Amino acid sequence: MTLAPTRPSAPMPPVESGPSEPPLWRRILPTPKFLTLGVVTLIIAYLAIVPLYYLFWGTFFDASGFTLDGFKRAYGNDQIFDLVGNSLWFAVGAAALSLVLGTGLAYLQVRTDVPFKALFFAASIIPLVIPGILYTIAWILLGSPDIGLLNHYLEPIFGRAVLDVFSIWGMIWVEGLQLSPIVFLLMVASFRAMDPSLEESALMSGASRWTVFRKVTIPLARPAIVAAILIMVVRSLESFEVPALLGLQNGIYVFTSRIYFVLRDYPPDLSAAGALAVGLLVLAIIGVIISNYAGRASKNYQTVTGKGFRPRPMELGRWRPVAGLLIVGYFLLTVVAPLLVLLYTSLLKFYAPPSKNTFSTMTLDNYRQLAHTSSALTALKNSLILGVASATLVMAVMAVAAWIVVRSQIRGRKVLDALAFLPLVVPGLVMGLALSFVYLRSPIPIYGTLFILLISYCTRYLPYGMRYAVTSMQQISNELEESALVNGASWWQTFRRVLLPLLMPGVVAGWIYILVVSFRELSSSILLYSPGNEVLSILIFEQFENGQFTVLSALGVVMVLTLVLLVTIAYKLGARVGLKQD
Amino acid sequence: MATRPGRLIATIGLTLALAACGGSPTASNGTSGGGEASSKYDQYEALKGQERRDKLMADAKAEGEISLYTSMTSDVAEAVTKAFTDQTGVKVNLYRAASETVLQRVLQESSARHAGADVVETDALEMAALGKEKLIAPYTGERRDLVGKEGQFDNWTASRYNLFSPSWNTTKVPAGTQPTSWEALADPKFDGQLAMELNDYDWYLTLYGYWQQHGKSTAEIDKLFGDMANGAKVVKGHTVMGELLSAGQYSVAASNYTYLVQRAQDKGAPVAYRPLVQPVIARPQGAALMKSAAHPAAALLFEDWLLTEGQKVFVDLGLTPSIEPQGLKDPLEGLEVISVDVNKLLNEQKKWSDQYNALLEKSDKLG
Repeated sequence: MTLAPTRPSAPMPPVESGPSEPPLWRRILPTPKFLTLGVVTLIIAYLAIVPLYYLFWGTFFDASGFTLDGFKRAYGNDQIFDLVGNSLWFAVGAAALSLVLGTGLAYLQVRTDVPFKALFFAASIIPLVIPGILYTIAWILLGSPDIGLLNHYLEPIFGRAVLDVFSIWGMIWVEGLQLSPIVFLLMVASFRAMDPSLEESALMSGASRWTVFRKVTIPLARPAIVAAILIMVVRSLESFEVPALLGLQNGIYVFTSRIYFVLRDYPPDLSAAGALAVGLLVLAIIGVIISNYAGRASKNYQTVTGKGFRPRPMELGRWRPVAGLLIVGYFLLTVVAPLLVLLYTSLLKFYAPPSKNTFSTMTLDNYRQLAHTSSALTALKNSLILGVASATLVMAVMAVAAWIVVRSQIRGRKVLDALAFLPLVVPGLVMGLALSFVYLRSPIPIYGTLFILLISYCTRYLPYGMRYAVTSMQQISNELEESALVNGASWWQTFRRVLLPLLMPGVVAGWIYILVVSFRELSSSILLYSPGNEVLSILIFEQFENGQFTVLSALGVVMVLTLVLLVTIAYKLGARVGLKQD
Repeated sequence: MATRPGRLIATIGLTLALAACGGSPTASNGTSGGGEASSKYDQYEALKGQERRDKLMADAKAEGEISLYTSMTSDVAEAVTKAFTDQTGVKVNLYRAASETVLQRVLQESSARHAGADVVETDALEMAALGKEKLIAPYTGERRDLVGKEGQFDNWTASRYNLFSPSWNTTKVPAGTQPTSWEALADPKFDGQLAMELNDYDWYLTLYGYWQQHGKSTAEIDKLFGDMANGAKVVKGHTVMGELLSAGQYSVAASNYTYLVQRAQDKGAPVAYRPLVQPVIARPQGAALMKSAAHPAAALLFEDWLLTEGQKVFVDLGLTPSIEPQGLKDPLEGLEVISVDVNKLLNEQKKWSDQYNALLEKSDKLG
């Protein structure tokens, strides 16, 4: 692995644990610290390398040996520049939108006395919970120039078809909204861990609020912002749901449509798909390098220090009602409108624009049919098990991994960081193929059980877990850890008693994110599941294929309710163990 | 620790080395099954009628279960497996996914000699691919002879057909103005009103071949398709195609499955596909026995059953069976029906898929 160059260690105070040079016998016998670090490293390396190895092999080797034909087939197309152009435009737009929305909402939520704080939670989670297909179709029903309800109601004011969801702007809008929760969760964790005294001193010195936000707050949150941009751009580059439903209609093709086309063929052109994924990989590695560079002077961002602080909400003054209005508007537009469309559709026999007639024929049949779907309960149970297990495992491993990457002086720690990021670029189907390849040949009977799905989920969500944990770790000052060690605590005690509680906001945010998205994972699940191990996303896919859009909407409503309940519980529990709460 | 060569890199290297021991992940490991495997069906193939059914029932019950991989939609799959289990007492383990996923799973499993499926039921292209990979065993029951010649393929047999025909939104297309021929879809009056599906190159190649046989020149045919694609809205998936048709996003869908439109119509949605535009294009969906089946008697029983009682289940769900059950009137009687050319689909797949993509990518003519 020579992908991410190992940089000479940044100038940092020596925070190596324990006595400076342990005797030889101590070095040979593994200490608990060494064991923990070793196991975590092994787990990450194993999870990340299996699919990557498969991807690389499939890309560069065929029956006759090394080959670059895959690249020729993948990129040798006059349209490839258009595709890459569209993709980048879409990805950068969606990332920018989600960054502005997520950061803005998080800031208002954590640091100001904005009204309607309860709405934030729903506004930040629900676009993530609604299955992608449903959220996108809900937006078609809202924003289509031909049948969009919003266009219908806006027509008297702005004229015909003022909104067009079937455009690159529409795609950016829908994708940006769907991604904004990742940013929100990251930034909330980051703002919570930020000492407001820095901002207060700036205010005292006469800076305006906007200047403080721009010159103090945002720079302090830079690690989180960089992480968010990185995830966002790669995620939107990979996204196919939104481009497929919104872009194709007007002939806007993206990079991933190529991956889709080459994998559709028989035999599936793994080599070309791999070549395309390698393109993403290169972009992602550049991203990781930039983000490491941006986060290099880590001491600058260490806002959680030995000094006690209590984030005091900033008073918005006369801007308070304006902010309140903005929040309500945002909430209505991004949460209430799509949810209402789904709720409305779930009560119909077939979708038709609202009229007296549709309201009088409403029925609960779709919910009844859902209740009679035999696998619904099993699927819900399996999804819950997988979601909770993968979120917990990933965040537990990543809390330690973040220490390795941010704090330790171990050589090659950046390689670990890059490794944990790479599964993000492996297309879901390729991941499924890789895992089935390995576990079909494994003597341990994992193929055909729930475990193979668990492994797949843990691999797919490693990158998110890593970003959440690393971002939080970068904000915790060395001095806390050092004082614990000076006072005689072991590394493990320090980690568990000092670092972990301080990391909690980030860990909980990552946990919630993984739980929620795992309910939606389809592309690898569909290949790896076996009878009795169905998960909710497969059920959604089946209802969708059946053409039961109304039943699907009902399922979407049920999912939103289930996950909102779960996430509420997680928030309450997380707040209890977390550093501080509102 | 910092002074010694990175343990971390060593660990990662070790993992890589271990992973590499697995050998080439994508190189072919040969196919499982082998020549002698199909013989597990021989003892039954000579039997006929009730005798065959009785023997299969007894042996299948002893095997206890069957593993079915299929791309039937879940409502169909549920009805079929329930009826089968009710009538035979043999439990069905169902793996359901899109046809290309079914194929990929079978290929993966067979390359590792893992006996996953006993019977596979899916789309023509994937069935033909399984035949080409020599993974399926010959099936020669009497029931196969009842399936028309156009439904008997190498080792696999059509169990039902999906019919492609234009459908339209009845509020946007008043009676009498609907398309009455495939050529009519090229009419400029449907610009901005016609939907085409991203993956229907099987429909495309069949219609293309039909027009060639009926004396149209390549230039004429390309012009017709070009005029269709000009201003067309491209959608992915037949479900979305149907949903948005009924919602009024466009007025005409070029190539939806008739049964999906029928279902929407049955619920009262303003959509229609009759009178059917001719030729109706039928794509076979087929079933086959796996050479590697762990439950051969149950597999054979299932295929026999699917082509007998199972046909009735298909009819009840509004699907088109490959053997019209006795006493029922063939709904396609008197219509010109052509079948998708499966060999062309298998052997020239990439060519047609690329050509169709190119056609659709040029459809970018709407503002």
